[in-house]
Amino acid sequence: MIFNSLAFFAFIGIFFPVYFMLKGKARLWLCLVGSYFFYGWWDERFLTLIIFSTLIDYSIGLMLDKEVVQKRRKRLLTISMVVNLGFLGFFKYFNFFVESFQDLVLSMGMTPSYNTLHIILPMGISFYTFQSMSYTIDVYYKKIPVEPDLVRFATFISFFPQLVAGPIVRAKEFLPQFKMDKKFDWNRFNSGTGQMLWGFFKKMVVADSLAPFIDQCFAAPETFSSLHLMVGVIFYSFQIYCDFSGYSDIAIGLARTMGFDFPNNFRTPYFSTGFSEFWQRWHITLSSWFRDYLYIPLGGSRNGTFNTYKNTMLTNLLSGLWHGANWVFVFWGFLHGIYIIIQRVIGPYFGRLMDAMRLPKMGRASVNIFLVYTATCFAWIFFRATDFGNALDVIYGIGKFENFTVSSIVNKFWFVKGVIVIGLLLLVEVADLKFNFAHLVKKQPVFRAVSFATVMMLIAFFGTFGSNAFIYFVF
Amino acid sequence: MRKALWIPACLLLFFVGDRLGGFILSKISAESNFRYARLYQGKAEADILLLGNSRGLIFYQPYIEEKTGKSTLNLSYNSMPIDLGRVMVSDYLKKYKAPELLIIDVTMCDRHNEKLIAGFNTFSDYSEELNNLIKEKSEKSWYAGKISKLYQYNSEVFQRTLYYLRKSDEDWLNDQVISPTMQANVEQDSAVELTIDDYLLTQLNDLVLLAESKGVKVELVANPYYPPYVKKMHYFYDFIGRINAKTNKKVRDYSRALSEVNGFADYQHLNKEGSKKYIDLLLEDGVLR
Repeated sequence: MIFNSLAFFAFIGIFFPVYFMLKGKARLWLCLVGSYFFYGWWDERFLTLIIFSTLIDYSIGLMLDKEVVQKRRKRLLTISMVVNLGFLGFFKYFNFFVESFQDLVLSMGMTPSYNTLHIILPMGISFYTFQSMSYTIDVYYKKIPVEPDLVRFATFISFFPQLVAGPIVRAKEFLPQFKMDKKFDWNRFNSGTGQMLWGFFKKMVVADSLAPFIDQCFAAPETFSSLHLMVGVIFYSFQIYCDFSGYSDIAIGLARTMGFDFPNNFRTPYFSTGFSEFWQRWHITLSSWFRDYLYIPLGGSRNGTFNTYKNTMLTNLLSGLWHGANWVFVFWGFLHGIYIIIQRVIGPYFGRLMDAMRLPKMGRASVNIFLVYTATCFAWIFFRATDFGNALDVIYGIGKFENFTVSSIVNKFWFVKGVIVIGLLLLVEVADLKFNFAHLVKKQPVFRAVSFATVMMLIAFFGTFGSNAFIYFVF
Repeated sequence: MRKALWIPACLLLFFVGDRLGGFILSKISAESNFRYARLYQGKAEADILLLGNSRGLIFYQPYIEEKTGKSTLNLSYNSMPIDLGRVMVSDYLKKYKAPELLIIDVTMCDRHNEKLIAGFNTFSDYSEELNNLIKEKSEKSWYAGKISKLYQYNSEVFQRTLYYLRKSDEDWLNDQVISPTMQANVEQDSAVELTIDDYLLTQLNDLVLLAESKGVKVELVANPYYPPYVKKMHYFYDFIGRINAKTNKKVRDYSRALSEVNGFADYQHLNKEGSKKYIDLLLEDGVLR
């Protein structure tokens, strides 16, 4: 079930009143059944996997709690990792690795014999696997107590607002919240509804309005002018941002209305002045997951410059692979790894150059934002492309600087609408930095009524109503 | 309950804002020079009606008017399906005296397009037939348009209506020359396959019968394609044959009539130069008089 569908509105129309009527265990059961219903709406076969994964990590958690022999504890943790990553590897990467192996063998002049399987990718498997793994790792390191209640644990894994595309919420932050009694709270309802509405705006007005222009660009890049393709890439940077952060906003808003606090997943990432900062503003819960469960255990920045760069690169490569079973995603991760390393190497010299130019603080920030945004857009080309050939066609198309005039842009109506909706988005995001709309929505009923009505009108006038799936569902 | 007061206030504001916005946009669109705005405002009377999808847009009206001395109205739109085209012509015939001639590019009969039909919600208040077609083809959009007036203007059709607010739409034509890359890639690129669909053919036949019953001379044509491209369209002649059989009218096939590269904007569309040559052909053959 996707958020921007009539089925979902019918679902929450029934779910919410019942949720607030129930208490304690009954409410927990409702959350679990509701979450499985929400997830099974796509394909009931997905449920088998999530239930199995839940049972494994629940049981291993209990065993880890009882076990005192370190060697055996380690073995249990290994089993959990193998099962979780095994599922992920099989369902998401099996065909990818088989095909990559075949290409490698072919390139060596041999003829491989191989089979790929018709595997369906269960929605959100990367998200709930990481959430589940973080629980087992934290129990292993005794950072959190074990969860003895199976229903609570199962709800933690499958909680419908964030099940399919995050944010990834750690057990330490999430499980204790199930134990608190949650009464209907107007403040939570008001701000939660506001965040959901803004999420719908981002998804339906910005992301889905830009989609046709971008799809056309990447489907046949050789047929478009340089400017058209460049606009396509810029549009994609906003599409992916609004699609994903829109989903996060809806998830966070939904959870808040239900009485749960989720961490923020995006903080105006395109205003980043550096690449490390970008990852503190983009998909924050995934970046911090990789930092805490991969980068730091690998040694982080503790063992000299070479190891720091090696750990940075490895983390980024795996982050790329997490996004999808395609080498273009790995390359996207590689580019971001390179960006961070380059920034660390030349950052001090660049800072001195800026000092020498005596640029004002604002000008300096603008140059940095521009550079980070441009490099990020370049990396997005690989993220969006179907393969390297497609990405190179787009890059070549832009790089040849052929027909760099506005008249060369095909379908100007998509273009004009795209510019308008991106303008609206930026206007609100910049104004929000000054006025803090979330606070105004909470405190000022008049502002709330007017702003919500305005956003609803903007959605009616500019929105794309096609129940288009979120891009991150396939990750 | 005081804490909940903002909710009805918000809904009221939305309702009032939406209706007010819808009212203003309807007034603006009524002033537009866009073909459908003129059609429904009684400002579109013409001697010759032209109909098609984007391939129908290549009927370059200023040149036809110059050569024939007659007024024209081109009801074509990008990806327009024949059922929508039928409603447009039918609405024209209800509002105006019958034109002398209706030319239809029959390649518009190859596709359904519910999304575009929903986009014509902008004009649904003016036409019962259009309103019914939207309800039949895109029920959700129809209901959404009843709930929100702003939604009725949430389409490319309305954007074009705004675009032509102060200018004529008679030269709406893609006036570029097919790029060398496209020319080189014609062999690799897959061609559009025209779908033969009985519903669409029936719609065309109904339109022909309706127009002829009002005394309009109807000409069915297949506009030119870039020649190396049309060669790759496997079912083209089956498609034309089915139309001939369904309508009992002979389609005049100009699909390979032009061969000069400079006359094409891309594989499926003529540019202004190509359009003029094509119109000269139509004049020579007596299609246009």
